[in-house]
Amino acid sequence: MRLDAVVENDVVREIRAHIEDKKHELIESGLSEKEANRAVCRSMGSPELVAKQIYEVYSQGSWVQAIFAALPHLLVAAFFALHWWQSTFWLIGILAAVVGGAIYGWFHGKPAWLFPWLGYCLIPVIAVGILLVYLPGGWAWLAASAYVPLALLIIFSVTKKIAKKDWVFASLMLLPAPIMLGWIMWLWILALEGHHGFLSYEQLYEFAPLIALTFAVLALTVATFIRVRQRWLKVGVLLTLEIIILGIMALSRKSSINPVGWIGLILLSVILILGPALLEKYPKRTSGKPLHLSSKSVR
Amino acid sequence: MLIENRNLSEVQKVNYERELLKGNTDSLLLSLINRQPTYGYKIIKELEKGSKGYFQFKEGTLYPALHRLERAGLLEGKWQKLPSGQERRYYYITAKGQKSLAERMAVWQNFAAAVALIMEPSG
Repeated sequence: MRLDAVVENDVVREIRAHIEDKKHELIESGLSEKEANRAVCRSMGSPELVAKQIYEVYSQGSWVQAIFAALPHLLVAAFFALHWWQSTFWLIGILAAVVGGAIYGWFHGKPAWLFPWLGYCLIPVIAVGILLVYLPGGWAWLAASAYVPLALLIIFSVTKKIAKKDWVFASLMLLPAPIMLGWIMWLWILALEGHHGFLSYEQLYEFAPLIALTFAVLALTVATFIRVRQRWLKVGVLLTLEIIILGIMALSRKSSINPVGWIGLILLSVILILGPALLEKYPKRTSGKPLHLSSKSVR
Repeated sequence: MLIENRNLSEVQKVNYERELLKGNTDSLLLSLINRQPTYGYKIIKELEKGSKGYFQFKEGTLYPALHRLERAGLLEGKWQKLPSGQERRYYYITAKGQKSLAERMAVWQNFAAAVALIMEPSG
Protein backbone atom coordinates (compact mmCIF):
# COMPACT_ATOMS: atom_id res chain seq x y z
CA MET A 1 0.00 0.00 0.00
CA ARG A 2 3.10 2.21 0.28
CA LEU A 3 1.87 3.73 3.53
CA ASP A 4 3.64 4.70 6.69
CA ALA A 5 4.76 1.39 8.29
CA VAL A 6 2.56 1.86 11.39
CA VAL A 7 -0.56 2.71 9.38
CA GLU A 8 0.06 -0.11 6.90
CA ASN A 9 0.50 -2.62 9.71
CA ASP A 10 -2.77 -1.43 11.30
CA VAL A 11 -4.70 -1.76 8.04
CA VAL A 12 -3.30 -5.25 7.33
CA ARG A 13 -4.08 -6.44 10.89
CA GLU A 14 -7.58 -5.04 10.67
CA ILE A 15 -8.38 -6.68 7.33
CA ARG A 16 -6.82 -9.94 8.52
CA ALA A 17 -9.11 -9.91 11.58
CA HIS A 18 -12.07 -9.23 9.29
CA ILE A 19 -11.14 -12.16 7.05
CA GLU A 20 -10.87 -14.47 10.06
CA ASP A 21 -14.33 -13.40 11.31
CA LYS A 22 -15.91 -13.91 7.92
CA LYS A 23 -14.21 -17.24 7.37
CA HIS A 24 -15.33 -18.49 10.78
CA GLU A 25 -18.93 -17.52 9.97
CA LEU A 26 -18.83 -19.35 6.64
CA ILE A 27 -17.37 -22.49 8.22
CA GLU A 28 -20.12 -22.38 10.86
CA SER A 29 -22.70 -22.13 8.07
CA GLY A 30 -21.44 -25.45 6.66
CA LEU A 31 -18.69 -24.59 4.19
CA SER A 32 -15.39 -26.44 4.23
CA GLU A 33 -12.28 -24.45 5.09
CA LYS A 34 -11.16 -24.45 1.48
CA GLU A 35 -14.56 -23.26 0.26
CA ALA A 36 -14.65 -20.61 2.99
CA ASN A 37 -11.20 -19.33 2.01
CA ARG A 38 -12.29 -19.11 -1.62
CA ALA A 39 -15.56 -17.34 -0.74
CA VAL A 40 -13.81 -14.82 1.50
CA CYS A 41 -11.24 -13.98 -1.19
CA ARG A 42 -14.05 -13.50 -3.71
CA SER A 43 -16.08 -11.25 -1.43
CA MET A 44 -13.14 -9.02 -0.52
CA GLY A 45 -12.93 -7.82 -4.12
CA SER A 46 -9.78 -6.58 -5.79
CA PRO A 47 -6.95 -6.18 -3.22
CA GLU A 48 -5.33 -3.66 -5.56
CA LEU A 49 -8.45 -1.49 -5.48
CA VAL A 50 -8.70 -1.64 -1.67
CA ALA A 51 -4.99 -0.80 -1.40
CA LYS A 52 -5.41 2.11 -3.84
CA GLN A 53 -8.38 3.50 -1.91
CA ILE A 54 -6.61 3.21 1.44
CA TYR A 55 -3.51 4.83 -0.11
CA GLU A 56 -5.61 7.76 -1.28
CA VAL A 57 -6.95 8.25 2.25
CA TYR A 58 -3.44 8.72 3.63
CA SER A 59 -1.58 10.13 0.63
CA GLN A 60 -2.79 13.69 0.98
CA GLY A 61 -0.54 15.79 3.20
CA SER A 62 -1.78 18.81 5.14
CA TRP A 63 -1.07 22.37 4.05
CA VAL A 64 1.58 22.61 6.78
CA GLN A 65 3.32 19.53 5.34
CA ALA A 66 3.05 21.02 1.83
CA ILE A 67 4.70 24.26 3.00
CA PHE A 68 7.37 22.33 4.87
CA ALA A 69 8.12 20.24 1.76
CA ALA A 70 8.33 23.36 -0.41
CA LEU A 71 10.51 25.23 2.10
CA PRO A 72 13.97 24.11 0.91
CA HIS A 73 13.11 25.16 -2.67
CA LEU A 74 11.72 28.46 -1.37
CA LEU A 75 14.95 29.03 0.59
CA VAL A 76 17.00 28.50 -2.58
CA ALA A 77 14.64 30.82 -4.48
CA ALA A 78 15.08 33.47 -1.76
CA PHE A 79 18.85 32.86 -1.78
CA PHE A 80 18.98 34.08 -5.38
CA ALA A 81 16.10 36.57 -5.37
CA LEU A 82 17.42 38.41 -2.32
CA HIS A 83 21.12 37.97 -3.22
CA TRP A 84 21.86 36.08 -0.01
CA TRP A 85 24.96 34.57 -1.64
CA GLN A 86 26.79 37.73 -0.56
CA SER A 87 26.25 36.94 3.13
CA THR A 88 28.12 34.15 4.91
CA PHE A 89 25.43 34.25 7.60
CA TRP A 90 22.65 33.29 5.15
CA LEU A 91 24.81 30.74 3.39
CA ILE A 92 25.66 28.89 6.62
CA GLY A 93 22.10 29.42 7.91
CA ILE A 94 20.53 27.77 4.84
CA LEU A 95 23.01 24.87 4.91
CA ALA A 96 22.33 24.31 8.62
CA ALA A 97 18.55 24.48 8.03
CA VAL A 98 18.72 21.95 5.19
CA VAL A 99 20.90 19.49 7.11
CA GLY A 100 18.86 20.00 10.30
CA GLY A 101 15.54 19.53 8.48
CA ALA A 102 16.78 16.35 6.78
CA ILE A 103 18.13 14.83 10.01
CA TYR A 104 14.93 15.70 11.91
CA GLY A 105 12.71 14.15 9.23
CA TRP A 106 14.89 11.05 8.87
CA PHE A 107 14.58 10.23 12.58
CA HIS A 108 10.87 11.13 12.80
CA GLY A 109 9.29 8.51 10.54
CA LYS A 110 10.59 9.80 7.19
CA PRO A 111 7.45 11.81 6.29
CA ALA A 112 6.81 12.95 2.70
CA TRP A 113 8.11 16.48 3.40
CA LEU A 114 11.58 15.10 4.21
CA PHE A 115 12.54 14.14 0.65
CA PRO A 116 13.04 17.60 -0.91
CA TRP A 117 15.33 18.41 2.08
CA LEU A 118 17.19 15.17 1.55
CA GLY A 119 17.71 16.03 -2.12
CA TYR A 120 19.62 19.15 -1.15
CA CYS A 121 21.82 17.13 1.19
CA LEU A 122 23.19 15.41 -1.94
CA ILE A 123 24.45 18.74 -3.32
CA PRO A 124 27.84 18.54 -1.54
CA VAL A 125 28.42 15.22 -3.33
CA ILE A 126 27.84 16.94 -6.70
CA ALA A 127 29.63 20.16 -5.67
CA VAL A 128 32.84 18.32 -4.80
CA GLY A 129 32.76 16.70 -8.26
CA ILE A 130 32.45 20.13 -9.91
CA LEU A 131 35.28 21.59 -7.84
CA LEU A 132 37.58 18.77 -9.03
CA VAL A 133 37.53 20.41 -12.47
CA TYR A 134 39.61 23.23 -11.04
CA LEU A 135 42.46 20.91 -10.05
CA PRO A 136 45.65 21.59 -12.02
CA GLY A 137 46.46 19.72 -15.24
CA GLY A 138 45.86 15.98 -15.47
CA TRP A 139 44.88 15.77 -11.77
CA ALA A 140 41.37 16.89 -12.62
CA TRP A 141 40.76 13.86 -14.86
CA LEU A 142 42.42 11.47 -12.43
CA ALA A 143 40.38 12.72 -9.47
CA ALA A 144 37.17 12.83 -11.53
CA SER A 145 37.58 9.26 -12.76
CA ALA A 146 37.85 8.11 -9.14
CA TYR A 147 35.24 10.44 -7.69
CA VAL A 148 32.39 10.24 -10.26
CA PRO A 149 31.72 6.48 -9.76
CA LEU A 150 31.86 6.98 -5.99
CA ALA A 151 29.43 9.92 -6.13
CA LEU A 152 27.05 7.99 -8.39
CA LEU A 153 27.21 5.02 -6.02
CA ILE A 154 26.29 7.24 -3.05
CA ILE A 155 23.36 8.82 -4.94
CA PHE A 156 22.21 5.41 -6.21
CA SER A 157 22.35 3.83 -2.72
CA VAL A 158 20.33 6.66 -1.16
CA THR A 159 17.80 6.54 -4.01
CA LYS A 160 17.45 2.76 -3.71
CA LYS A 161 16.90 2.98 0.04
CA ILE A 162 14.17 5.58 -0.40
CA ALA A 163 12.58 3.70 -3.32
CA LYS A 164 12.05 0.78 -0.91
CA LYS A 165 9.71 3.00 1.10
CA ASP A 166 7.97 4.43 -1.97
CA TRP A 167 9.56 5.19 -5.31
CA VAL A 168 7.69 8.50 -5.76
CA PHE A 169 9.60 9.86 -2.75
CA ALA A 170 12.87 9.07 -4.56
CA SER A 171 11.52 10.99 -7.57
CA LEU A 172 10.65 13.87 -5.24
CA MET A 173 14.18 13.85 -3.84
CA LEU A 174 15.84 13.84 -7.29
CA LEU A 175 13.46 16.47 -8.71
CA PRO A 176 15.78 19.50 -8.51
CA ALA A 177 18.79 17.66 -9.99
CA PRO A 178 18.11 18.36 -13.72
CA ILE A 179 17.28 21.99 -12.99
CA MET A 180 20.42 22.48 -10.91
CA LEU A 181 22.45 20.69 -13.57
CA GLY A 182 20.90 22.97 -16.19
CA TRP A 183 21.89 26.08 -14.26
CA ILE A 184 25.39 24.73 -13.54
CA MET A 185 25.93 23.99 -17.25
CA TRP A 186 24.45 27.36 -18.27
CA LEU A 187 26.61 29.37 -15.86
CA TRP A 188 29.69 27.24 -16.47
CA ILE A 189 29.55 27.87 -20.22
CA LEU A 190 29.23 31.59 -19.48
CA ALA A 191 32.16 31.41 -17.06
CA LEU A 192 34.34 29.67 -19.64
CA GLU A 193 33.45 32.36 -22.15
CA GLY A 194 34.33 35.08 -19.61
CA HIS A 195 37.56 36.01 -17.88
CA HIS A 196 39.66 33.51 -15.88
CA GLY A 197 36.99 30.78 -16.12
CA PHE A 198 34.93 32.30 -13.26
CA LEU A 199 31.48 33.83 -13.24
CA SER A 200 31.28 37.55 -12.54
CA TYR A 201 28.95 39.07 -9.95
CA GLU A 202 27.23 41.00 -12.76
CA GLN A 203 26.37 37.77 -14.52
CA LEU A 204 25.05 36.25 -11.33
CA TYR A 205 22.90 39.37 -10.68
CA GLU A 206 21.59 39.15 -14.24
CA PHE A 207 20.41 35.55 -13.93
CA ALA A 208 19.40 35.53 -10.24
CA PRO A 209 15.70 36.43 -10.87
CA LEU A 210 15.28 33.59 -13.40
CA ILE A 211 17.09 31.12 -11.13
CA ALA A 212 14.82 32.21 -8.25
CA LEU A 213 11.74 31.79 -10.45
CA THR A 214 12.67 28.23 -11.42
CA PHE A 215 13.09 27.22 -7.77
CA ALA A 216 9.84 28.99 -6.81
CA VAL A 217 8.01 26.89 -9.45
CA LEU A 218 9.79 23.84 -8.05
CA ALA A 219 8.40 24.75 -4.60
CA LEU A 220 4.91 24.98 -6.11
CA THR A 221 5.42 21.58 -7.76
CA VAL A 222 6.36 19.94 -4.47
CA ALA A 223 3.47 21.55 -2.58
CA THR A 224 1.03 20.32 -5.25
CA PHE A 225 2.56 16.83 -5.04
CA ILE A 226 1.90 16.73 -1.29
CA ARG A 227 -1.69 17.95 -1.61
CA VAL A 228 -3.00 15.69 -4.38
CA ARG A 229 -4.32 12.24 -3.46
CA GLN A 230 -4.04 10.14 -6.62
CA ARG A 231 -0.73 8.51 -7.30
CA TRP A 232 -0.82 9.04 -11.07
CA LEU A 233 -1.53 12.72 -10.45
CA LYS A 234 1.45 13.04 -8.12
CA VAL A 235 3.81 11.60 -10.75
CA GLY A 236 2.11 13.68 -13.46
CA VAL A 237 2.62 16.89 -11.47
CA LEU A 238 6.34 16.18 -10.98
CA LEU A 239 6.89 15.31 -14.63
CA THR A 240 4.82 18.11 -16.17
CA LEU A 241 6.06 20.98 -14.03
CA GLU A 242 9.70 19.85 -14.23
CA ILE A 243 9.51 19.80 -18.04
CA ILE A 244 7.76 23.21 -18.02
CA ILE A 245 10.58 24.67 -15.87
CA LEU A 246 13.24 23.26 -18.21
CA GLY A 247 11.20 24.51 -21.18
CA ILE A 248 11.08 28.04 -19.73
CA MET A 249 14.85 27.94 -19.18
CA ALA A 250 15.45 26.60 -22.71
CA LEU A 251 13.29 29.28 -24.31
CA SER A 252 15.09 32.08 -22.49
CA ARG A 253 16.87 34.34 -24.97
CA LYS A 254 20.05 34.30 -22.91
CA SER A 255 20.33 30.50 -22.69
CA SER A 256 23.89 29.36 -23.32
CA ILE A 257 22.95 25.67 -23.71
CA ASN A 258 22.12 24.36 -27.19
CA PRO A 259 18.81 22.55 -27.95
CA VAL A 260 20.49 19.13 -27.78
CA GLY A 261 21.62 19.94 -24.23
CA TRP A 262 18.08 20.87 -23.20
CA ILE A 263 16.63 17.71 -24.77
CA GLY A 264 19.24 15.75 -22.80
CA LEU A 265 18.15 17.48 -19.58
CA ILE A 266 14.48 16.76 -20.27
CA LEU A 267 15.32 13.08 -20.87
CA LEU A 268 17.32 13.07 -17.63
CA SER A 269 14.24 14.45 -15.82
CA VAL A 270 12.06 11.65 -17.19
CA ILE A 271 14.67 9.06 -16.11
CA LEU A 272 15.07 10.54 -12.63
CA ILE A 273 11.32 10.84 -12.03
CA LEU A 274 10.22 7.48 -13.44
CA GLY A 275 13.44 5.47 -12.97
CA PRO A 276 13.02 4.92 -9.20
CA ALA A 277 9.92 2.82 -10.04
CA LEU A 278 12.30 0.19 -11.45
CA LEU A 279 14.39 0.28 -8.28
CA GLU A 280 11.32 -0.45 -6.18
CA LYS A 281 10.60 -3.67 -8.07
CA TYR A 282 13.94 -5.31 -7.36
CA PRO A 283 14.26 -5.08 -3.58
CA LYS A 284 11.59 -7.25 -1.99
CA ARG A 285 9.24 -5.14 0.11
CA THR A 286 9.49 -6.14 3.73
CA SER A 287 7.17 -3.68 5.45
CA GLY A 288 3.79 -5.15 6.34
CA LYS A 289 3.10 -8.86 6.51
CA PRO A 290 1.36 -10.41 3.51
CA LEU A 291 -2.32 -11.19 3.88
CA HIS A 292 -2.92 -14.89 4.21
CA LEU A 293 -5.72 -16.99 5.50
CA SER A 294 -4.67 -18.91 8.53
CA SER A 295 -6.43 -22.11 9.53
CA LYS A 296 -6.64 -20.95 13.14
CA SER A 297 -9.83 -19.03 13.64
CA VAL A 298 -10.29 -17.63 17.11
CA ARG A 299 -13.28 -15.74 18.35
CA MET B 1 -42.37 -0.68 -25.50
CA LEU B 2 -42.51 3.06 -24.93
CA ILE B 3 -43.26 2.51 -21.25
CA GLU B 4 -40.36 0.05 -20.97
CA ASN B 5 -37.95 2.63 -22.40
CA ARG B 6 -39.08 5.20 -19.88
CA ASN B 7 -38.55 2.85 -16.94
CA LEU B 8 -35.18 2.60 -15.23
CA SER B 9 -33.28 -0.48 -16.28
CA GLU B 10 -31.83 -2.75 -13.59
CA VAL B 11 -28.37 -1.35 -14.30
CA GLN B 12 -29.64 2.21 -13.97
CA LYS B 13 -31.38 1.31 -10.69
CA VAL B 14 -28.18 -0.19 -9.30
CA ASN B 15 -26.18 2.86 -10.41
CA TYR B 16 -28.75 5.22 -8.87
CA GLU B 17 -28.68 3.33 -5.56
CA ARG B 18 -24.89 3.28 -5.66
CA GLU B 19 -24.81 7.06 -6.14
CA LEU B 20 -27.21 7.58 -3.23
CA LEU B 21 -25.18 5.26 -1.01
CA LYS B 22 -21.92 6.92 -2.00
CA GLY B 23 -23.22 10.28 -0.82
CA ASN B 24 -24.45 8.87 2.48
CA THR B 25 -21.87 6.24 3.46
CA ASP B 26 -20.14 8.53 5.94
CA SER B 27 -23.43 9.53 7.60
CA LEU B 28 -24.52 5.88 7.92
CA LEU B 29 -21.20 4.90 9.49
CA LEU B 30 -21.17 7.84 11.89
CA SER B 31 -24.75 7.13 12.88
CA LEU B 32 -24.07 3.44 13.57
CA ILE B 33 -20.86 4.06 15.52
CA ASN B 34 -22.56 6.84 17.48
CA ARG B 35 -24.90 4.22 18.94
CA GLN B 36 -22.08 1.98 20.07
CA PRO B 37 -18.35 1.67 19.36
CA THR B 38 -17.88 -1.21 16.96
CA TYR B 39 -15.51 -2.84 14.44
CA GLY B 40 -15.48 -3.35 10.67
CA TYR B 41 -16.98 -6.81 10.39
CA LYS B 42 -19.79 -6.00 12.80
CA ILE B 43 -20.54 -2.75 10.99
CA ILE B 44 -21.24 -4.65 7.76
CA LYS B 45 -23.48 -7.07 9.64
CA GLU B 46 -25.34 -4.34 11.54
CA LEU B 47 -25.94 -2.28 8.42
CA GLU B 48 -27.30 -5.30 6.62
CA LYS B 49 -29.49 -6.34 9.53
CA GLY B 50 -30.65 -2.81 10.38
CA SER B 51 -31.69 -2.10 6.79
CA LYS B 52 -33.34 -5.54 6.37
CA GLY B 53 -30.76 -6.55 3.80
CA TYR B 54 -30.83 -3.32 1.76
CA PHE B 55 -27.32 -2.15 2.64
CA GLN B 56 -24.72 -4.72 1.70
CA PHE B 57 -21.39 -3.05 2.20
CA LYS B 58 -18.27 -4.43 0.59
CA GLU B 59 -15.04 -4.45 2.57
CA GLY B 60 -13.46 -2.43 -0.20
CA THR B 61 -15.95 0.37 0.49
CA LEU B 62 -16.03 0.10 4.26
CA TYR B 63 -12.37 0.26 5.27
CA PRO B 64 -11.35 3.22 3.09
CA ALA B 65 -14.43 5.08 4.42
CA LEU B 66 -13.61 4.25 8.07
CA HIS B 67 -10.00 5.34 7.63
CA ARG B 68 -11.09 8.51 5.83
CA LEU B 69 -13.41 9.41 8.73
CA GLU B 70 -10.65 8.62 11.22
CA ARG B 71 -8.19 10.81 9.34
CA ALA B 72 -10.75 13.64 9.35
CA GLY B 73 -10.91 13.33 13.15
CA LEU B 74 -14.56 12.17 13.16
CA LEU B 75 -13.74 8.67 14.39
CA GLU B 76 -11.02 7.19 16.52
CA GLY B 77 -9.80 3.63 16.07
CA LYS B 78 -8.48 1.66 19.05
CA TRP B 79 -7.19 -1.90 19.17
CA GLN B 80 -8.86 -4.11 21.73
CA LYS B 81 -7.79 -7.58 22.72
CA LEU B 82 -10.60 -10.05 23.34
CA PRO B 83 -10.39 -12.69 26.07
CA SER B 84 -9.87 -15.23 23.24
CA GLY B 85 -6.68 -13.40 22.28
CA GLN B 86 -8.07 -12.07 19.01
CA GLU B 87 -7.60 -8.36 18.35
CA ARG B 88 -10.16 -6.06 16.85
CA ARG B 89 -10.00 -2.43 15.88
CA TYR B 90 -12.97 -0.69 17.47
CA TYR B 91 -14.13 2.67 16.16
CA TYR B 92 -15.33 5.37 18.51
CA ILE B 93 -17.05 8.57 17.47
CA THR B 94 -15.27 11.75 18.53
CA ALA B 95 -16.87 15.04 19.65
CA LYS B 96 -16.12 16.41 16.19
CA GLY B 97 -17.79 13.34 14.69
CA GLN B 98 -20.92 13.84 16.82
CA LYS B 99 -21.13 17.47 15.73
CA SER B 100 -20.71 16.46 12.10
CA LEU B 101 -23.37 13.75 12.46
CA ALA B 102 -25.87 16.24 13.95
CA GLU B 103 -25.25 18.59 11.02
CA ARG B 104 -25.58 15.78 8.48
CA MET B 105 -28.84 14.59 10.06
CA ALA B 106 -30.31 18.10 9.93
CA VAL B 107 -29.34 18.43 6.25
CA TRP B 108 -30.72 14.97 5.49
CA GLN B 109 -34.05 15.66 7.23
CA ASN B 110 -34.49 18.93 5.34
CA PHE B 111 -33.55 17.26 2.06
CA ALA B 112 -35.84 14.26 2.62
CA ALA B 113 -38.73 16.56 3.57
CA ALA B 114 -38.19 18.68 0.44
CA VAL B 115 -37.99 15.60 -1.80
CA ALA B 116 -41.18 14.23 -0.23
CA LEU B 117 -43.01 17.52 -0.86
CA ILE B 118 -42.21 17.25 -4.57
CA MET B 119 -42.37 13.49 -5.13
CA GLU B 120 -45.30 12.70 -2.85
CA PRO B 121 -47.56 15.77 -2.94
CA SER B 122 -50.41 15.40 -0.44
CA GLY B 123 -52.87 17.39 -2.45
